[in-house]
Amino acid sequence: MAEQTPVQIFRRQERQKQYRSGTFFLKLAVLLLFILVPFLFPSFKSLDLALKIMIFAVLVASFDILLGYTGILSFGHVMFFGIGAYSVALLIGKYGNPTYINLVIGFIVALGITSALALIVSFLSLRVKAIFFAMVTLAIAEFAIILATKLSGFTGGEDGIIMSMPGIFKVSFNMGKFLGVEITGRLITYYFILVVCLGLFLLMIRFINSPLGRVMQAIRDNEPRAEAIGYKTFIVKSISICFGCLVSTILGGLYAMWVGYANPESVLGIPIMLDVLLMEIVGGMGTLYGGLAGAAFLEFAHSFLPDLQNFAKSLFPGAHFLHAAMERWLLIFGILFIMVVFFFPKGIIGSVQDFMARRKTAPSI
Amino acid sequence: MGLICAGSVKRYLGLCKMNAKNTEPIIETKDLTIRFGGHVAVDHVNFQMQLFTLKSIIGPNGAGKTTFFNMLTGQYKPTEGQVFLKGQDITNLSPADRTRLGMGRSFQLTNIFPMLSVLENVRVAIQSREGFGLNFWKSYLHFSDAEDEAYELLQEVLLDEKWSATSAELTHGEKRKLEIAILLALKPEILFLDEPTAGMGQEEVPAILEILQRIKEARDRTLLLVEHKMDMIMSLSDTIMVLQEGRIIADGEPDEIYRSEAVQEAYLGGGTTRE
Ligand SMILES: Nc1ncnc2c1ncn2[C@@H]1O[C@H](COP(=O)(O)OP(=O)(O)OP(=O)(O)O)[C@@H](O)[C@H]1O
Ligand SMILES: [Mg+2]
Repeated sequence: MAEQTPVQIFRRQERQKQYRSGTFFLKLAVLLLFILVPFLFPSFKSLDLALKIMIFAVLVASFDILLGYTGILSFGHVMFFGIGAYSVALLIGKYGNPTYINLVIGFIVALGITSALALIVSFLSLRVKAIFFAMVTLAIAEFAIILATKLSGFTGGEDGIIMSMPGIFKVSFNMGKFLGVEITGRLITYYFILVVCLGLFLLMIRFINSPLGRVMQAIRDNEPRAEAIGYKTFIVKSISICFGCLVSTILGGLYAMWVGYANPESVLGIPIMLDVLLMEIVGGMGTLYGGLAGAAFLEFAHSFLPDLQNFAKSLFPGAHFLHAAMERWLLIFGILFIMVVFFFPKGIIGSVQDFMARRKTAPSI
Repeated sequence: MGLICAGSVKRYLGLCKMNAKNTEPIIETKDLTIRFGGHVAVDHVNFQMQLFTLKSIIGPNGAGKTTFFNMLTGQYKPTEGQVFLKGQDITNLSPADRTRLGMGRSFQLTNIFPMLSVLENVRVAIQSREGFGLNFWKSYLHFSDAEDEAYELLQEVLLDEKWSATSAELTHGEKRKLEIAILLALKPEILFLDEPTAGMGQEEVPAILEILQRIKEARDRTLLLVEHKMDMIMSLSDTIMVLQEGRIIADGEPDEIYRSEAVQEAYLGGGTTRE
């Protein structure tokens, strides 16, 4: 055999380690945890938490394709999530019947609308500079919220649309017990969403590791140079934007399937967009897995900080200052957040990766 | 290393046809002019260069050499005038389109992808040339030939030991070498080199010089070079063009230029061998 270059040797070692490395087992363990949640923690609250972490992890990863991998900051990302949710809700709830066909059509319609809108957004990115692009997308997102709120005849206004799911996804569906756990429509929906999320996540990993994904990163680093070596950067950016937005749309539809409704506050709101942004920054930009870390961190905080607050109160009934501080837990959260950004600018996953790389001093590319 | 590859065969056929009517210039500009506000940086330049030759552009700092390059390779749109490639008007083409037509460019101010690894910087250029840059369904590792070739190019510019480093961490001289490796990866028919050795340590220059020498001697590429190192220019160039304040003040063979009074006065006499 011909002599191998250091690159080839490195690649071979990488392939050999692929299914034996610690990170691989960690990923497997996380997946297993999601699979076992209904059996380990059978309460609705924990199931709901796991599902939201899942959806938001993938949503943040799709946002990361734009921001972390292509260098495009769009505040319209959650709007596409909303399009997915509303489309499914309208076709199953308000203007249709809870049938499988309608569910599928709901997703297809959403993907169609998103494709068109994402293309328009891409054209904007060609026309305006980064900071203006961010502002324009914010305006579009705001406009979508106003539309959803004001067109109450069509969208149900602030209350939104309530629906019930078809067949096996119906909340009341029950097919008996398995390992002591009731197999309900909820549980089936949970696993359905888990499978789709996993699929989407794997798809995104493939996407960023494709030749095109590599060009995206080159554009993020130095767009004029990418153009000078022959890439039509506009096309690459458009594909990246459309792909990220389509993933976001599917997730919106899944989310609506889970909660059984869609309203402006829960699927379109700017606060959700800010949450996504926070999760992205806390988890780390440019690492798809950062989304999972960020989503887990924020969702846990959202659901347990109020409990923690009451717990602290009962522990120290006299400490008024503590009470006052805990009342403003969002403030504490904000400070915590600033500290994370300050001390770990690469986020949780990015910092861990750095640490591992330094420990091994092996080339990491 | 063979400079011809499958991806550029088509270009080659185009070139061979060109070869028949040898007198037609491969690159030509007509009254090329650009103004920045009131300042005329390049002023009605009528420029021609022949296939498979090496032409150098010299001139004092601020003469408009880089600006002229930027109009040839599409970074700047001229205020007036046209650029022709093999007789075809390319004035309105984007830099990407011009690169696809076989024009490759290195930059005076280092211009790389800082967050990507050294190898990846070169590989991305190769995948552009080979035309699979828009593939998003296969892993980039699937195209291992591109990676092997990228490594070979790094060997050629003596940067192979740094292949896995993040390119932002390279020293200035190493970044210059990477810049050249990216250019070579495109296998352009016409290479535009804007001060390839600027800011390099003295000991690093010979490797670059040797590469240029080799490309030139193969006589299957056209080179346009901006440099301040006079000895390098004199030994390499087939023809030299002198720019001053955006205008051509001389254009001819090296010794012709060397003897020219106007040039002596404007440029050579000033002892402006920078760096
Ligand atoms: N984008 C721009 N906007 C305004 N002026 C510019 C621009 N680009 C170049 N110039 C001006 O055009 C003139 C020519 O600059 P250029 O960089 O082409 O010189 P040069 O011959 O490459 O010099 P050097 O040897 O220093 O590289 C300079 O006066 C410069 O200030
Ligand atoms: Mg210059």
